[in-house]
Order: sequence, then C-alpha cells, then structure tokens
Amino acid sequence: MKQILMQDTSGTLKKELRDLYVSFNSHLRDNGLADKAQVVLVSDIGVHNKGMVVKVLPEGFIYINVQSTHIADIVAKTVVNGAKVDALAYERPNKQMRIVLRHCGILDPESIEDYIAHDGYQGLANALAMGPEKVIEEMKKSGLRGRGGAGFPTWLKWNLTRAVKGEAKYIICNGDEGDPGAYMDRSVLEGDPHAVIEGMVIGGFAVGARNGIFYIRAEYPLAVARIQKAIDVCYAKGLLGKDIFGSGFDFDVEIRLGAGAFVCGEETALIASVEGLRGYPRPRPPFPSVKGLWDKPTVINNVETLANVSYILFKGGEAFGKIGIEGSTGTKVFALTGKVKNSGLVEVPMGTTLREIVFDIGGGVFENRAIKAIQTGGPSGGMIPQEFFDTPVGYESLQKLGSIMGSGGMIVMDENDCMVDISKFYLGFCVDESCGKCAPCRIGGVQMLEILKKITQGKGELDDLEKLSEIAEAMQRASLCGLGQTAANPVLSTMKYFGMEYEKHVINKKCPAGKCASLVQYSINKERCTGCGLCARNCPVNAISGDRQTKYTIDMAKCIGCGNCYEVCKFGAVLRQ
Amino acid sequence: MAMTRDDLNKLKAETQAKEPKNWIRVGYSTCGVAAGAKEVFDVLTEEAKARNMDLLVKKCGCVGLCSAEPLVEVNIEGAPRVFYGKVNKEVAHRIMDEHVCQKKLVENHIYEI
Repeated sequence: MKQILMQDTSGTLKKELRDLYVSFNSHLRDNGLADKAQVVLVSDIGVHNKGMVVKVLPEGFIYINVQSTHIADIVAKTVVNGAKVDALAYERPNKQMRIVLRHCGILDPESIEDYIAHDGYQGLANALAMGPEKVIEEMKKSGLRGRGGAGFPTWLKWNLTRAVKGEAKYIICNGDEGDPGAYMDRSVLEGDPHAVIEGMVIGGFAVGARNGIFYIRAEYPLAVARIQKAIDVCYAKGLLGKDIFGSGFDFDVEIRLGAGAFVCGEETALIASVEGLRGYPRPRPPFPSVKGLWDKPTVINNVETLANVSYILFKGGEAFGKIGIEGSTGTKVFALTGKVKNSGLVEVPMGTTLREIVFDIGGGVFENRAIKAIQTGGPSGGMIPQEFFDTPVGYESLQKLGSIMGSGGMIVMDENDCMVDISKFYLGFCVDESCGKCAPCRIGGVQMLEILKKITQGKGELDDLEKLSEIAEAMQRASLCGLGQTAANPVLSTMKYFGMEYEKHVINKKCPAGKCASLVQYSINKERCTGCGLCARNCPVNAISGDRQTKYTIDMAKCIGCGNCYEVCKFGAVLRQ
Repeated sequence: MAMTRDDLNKLKAETQAKEPKNWIRVGYSTCGVAAGAKEVFDVLTEEAKARNMDLLVKKCGCVGLCSAEPLVEVNIEGAPRVFYGKVNKEVAHRIMDEHVCQKKLVENHIYEI
C-alpha cells in the first residue's frame, strides 16, 4: 500500500487541488490500482510556495508544481514501480538540526528509563571518568557559549569558578525565561528534564560544586513538576546524591521558584531572589563566579546551555565544535512567533540565515503579506529589516546589526505592524519590569515611554527624536544591569532602520501601518459600500450608521480608530488614511 | 544504591529491547495541553485498551510545531509514520479507526515536520 499525499502550497489553488484529488483517484480506479494506493489531503507537506505538491510514501519522493497531466506518469513510475519522476522531483532541504531538542517529542519526559535508552546519563558517566580538568577542556573544544543571551563562553565561566578556592560552591540553572514570545527553555524543561539535570551535574562536577539549584519561574508549573519528578527518580536510582557512579562525587539538587520578575533573569538579581531577598541586581564585580549565592562562588547557566552540555560530554567537544560557524558553534533554538505561518520552536545550526528560518522553516508570512522586519532578542534586542535577512545567525553578526541573539525569541513583523508602536510595546515591558533601583533605568525608561506615547498620539515634535536618542544613550551607559542597559535597544534599532516611520508620525502625523489609532482616519466609500452593515455591527462604539439604501457613514466624533470596520469589510469600502 | 556505569548500560539495553513496535506519541507540553492534548490522550488510551491492542500510547514533550498542537505521532506496522496536527476527540477516534486498524492515513490533519 502506498500513500499519495497532496497539498496546495500556494494557498490559491483550492479548486485545482480538488480536481487533482479526484483525477488521481479515478486514474487509480481505472487502472485497477485503487487498493494499491491511498490519496490523502494533508495540512502541511513541509514544502512552501511550490504550487501543488505531491509526496509519495513510503519512498518519500516529493513532486512540485504538479498538474493533472502528470498523474499518469506519477502513477506509472512511482506507484507501480517505485521509481522517481525526475522532471518533477524536489529535494526538501533539511535546515533544522536537533541537539537541544533531540529528545523533545520523542521520549516520555517522566520516564528515566526512556531517557537512558536514548543515551541518557552517558555524558555524565564520561565526565566523571575523565575528571574536571578534562571536562572543561572538552567544553573548550566545543566552543559552546551561553545560550541565555550574553554568549559568554561556558568553559571560561566554569574555569573561573573552578579556580576560586573554597569548599562550598553552587551551580544554578537559570530557568527564568521572561522575554515576550520566547519559550524554548520551558519546552526543554518540560520535554527533556533529565538532559538539563545531567548537564547541571556535569557542570557541578567541573567547577567543584556540590549543590545545584534550579531557578524556575512559578508560571511554569508543568516544567517544575517534571523537573521535580526527574530529580526524585534520580535520587532513587542513585544518579543524584552520594557517590554518583562510584566516583566519590556527591551532588544535590533542589528547585527554587521565581515569581516571574523579568529582572530576576539577571544573574545578581537571580541570586538575591534565591536567597529570599528582593530581586535587585547589584554592581559587578565581584562577579558571581567569585562571590555569588551566599557569597560563595557560583556559576549560572541557562537551560539550553545545560541541555547542550550533556550532549557535548556524550558526543565529544570536537564533534560539537564542527557544527555552526566560527565563533558561534552548535545550534540555537528559536521561538518563531508573530506573523509567521508555522509558529513554534525551530533549532538550526548557527550560521543559518534569517531568511531560511522564516521562509523555509516558518513557511513565510501569514496571508503572504509583505514582511517588514524580524525582532530578535526580546526587549533587549532589536529589529532587523529586510535587507539583512541573508545574514547568518551568530552572536557577533546579530550584534553588528544592532540586535542580539538573546535567549532566542524571534518575532516576525509584517506591513501591518507599526515600528513606533512595537518599540513602545517593548519599552513599556521594560518600564513595567524595571526594579527601580537605579535612576537611569527607572526614570529614563518612563521618560522615553512618555515621548513614544506622545508620538503615537500625533503630538510628537521634531526634537523628540533627538531626546529619545539622548536618554537612550544615558540609559545604556549608566544603568546598573543588563535590563536598563539594553531597554532602549528596540527604540534605537527601529529609529536606525525605520527612521522614516518616526518622521511620518512626527511631521505628517500619519501612521503608515495604520496601527496608531489617533493618527488614522477611517471613512466609507459610498460607491463601493453595498450596505451590508457588517461594519456597523462590528463597531464597538456604534459610530457607524446607515442602511441598505443610504449606505453607511462613520461619525468621526465617536470613532475611536480601532479599525474593526476596516478589517471586516469584504468589499474594500472602508478607507484608511 | 548507587548506580554503576554497567548498571546504566544494562538498563539502557533492557529498555531498548522492550521498545514496542506500535506506538503513539502525544505532545504533552504546556502548548499541547493548552490546545487539548489531555482529551486526545484519554481517547487514545481508552480506545487502545478497549480494543485490547498491542499499542503504547505515551506522553511526550513538544516537538516544535506549536501552531499545530495537539500533535500526535503514529507509528503502526504496515503504515508510514506520520504526525497528525490539530487533533481533537473526533480525529483521535478516526486515527484509531482508520490509521491504527485499517492502516489508512487520516485526511487533512497530516503535518510534515
């Protein structure tokens, strides 16, 4: 039995798809092959914008731009003989590579046996056999850099903590993922908890720590429950506790819950929070590697980093170092969201371009609208415009563009997104989350936000733009921690790449994307209006009146500019200016 | 009872040997659960039990395509291994009837990942 899968990947060939489906079936029937193959319509065939796509299983041949004239050929060659129709064949490029997500969706996160059957805890056994120096050496070969955002080499971090003398040391897993739209850490904690625990024990062994702490935000109850369950079963199996693998190394792990403050992702604030204090950052140095939790040397690694560690110690640092590009090795998980067709988690080798991620993996933009920019790095990152979509993803390359890799949020913006509005959103997030300890962040953020509000309300003046850059610079230079230093990044990067949009808001008092309600006026074109009244029914403030004969009109005094009428009108009769 | 490396390898080999031929994996992370994975999981386990089948239905993490959750991966001897997305109760029943029992793929829910 073969399966013939088909999908219209252009989104415009609804009728043709139906016809093809029917013709395939009748062709099979006419040739007495009806019980040899099943024709199946599918939701996503894994290929994008290649017209009608047909895939034949079990061979897995993919044919693109298929028309009804090709049916006989496909049936005769592939269905009957299992051979490929070369003229139509297409090789689907495999852009994803799974290291961190290697077990997500494959094994039962609540079963340690399942993890062990998939090479689990082999890396730990290797590490304990080779000794701490060699573990760090292996990490150095791998070139792994911290996946939490800053990209500090993990081996160096470990080496610094290892070099500090002292009996008590700690290793903390930073699971305080707070960027809007980013959730790769949650997914790893939920989907593969043992990989993170294994990475933590290896890290603890390398730096000489005997205690590990998972700092996870309380908004992740399932992640917390699965990590707790994994810890319990590890103790029961002797993979945590005393004398692990008979090496004489003892290691204990516990969980601390965070209350979800964004600033607690910053390491000194995180330490304060673990100690039971208010989540305030403190000036560095001394760095946590010297004076961290309870004033003891502490190493803090992100969830994704630790999930990489268990892989590296199993497969070897050299093999890992060959993946990716110079300076940024391995893979990166991105949470692809926004106006993209297939939102979700993607894991790609470093050096993959933004275009490949959004178009080849993500399937492009909703309703094939024009893409405007990609936001990476969350509220500390920046907006990357179209002309740089072919940039290979890496720590340095994104920084050069005024953005950052960050923890891996990637939000796609289309032509309906207003850049001023978006930067107002991100800045507003940082203002809400600012702990208020230092003045540049506490006052600067609010002032910038006020200016942005003014601009989006059409009250902006020309020197406002100058003021924005001035305050931004002060915040970058004088803020105490990363939150304040980077809070202005979204504003700066949009001003750099989309300066025109700011000017249109300030000078022309217009919002080109039609997002800023006070700058947009809606009206109804009476010639196009059919009098259906859909707009009036969707108006939240009853500003639209009329009937089938007189057509409809908008009362500007009542209109709040929400744009509902514009969205619902099927005849393009509502105009936006 | 500390585990030795030999114990680890033994447990690995034992678990691998027990690997079932027929299985269904249900994406059971926050994204899946929020989209209704529990209901789907319950239907699949109940049906597997009611039909007394040699079939393991297990909970897994998120495979990545969160927009298509709840995702269910089906591997049954005699049919290709596929992902079904946006699965609800009815689709879960159809998966059991059509895919598991008749070895025919269920239409309009397959996602290639």
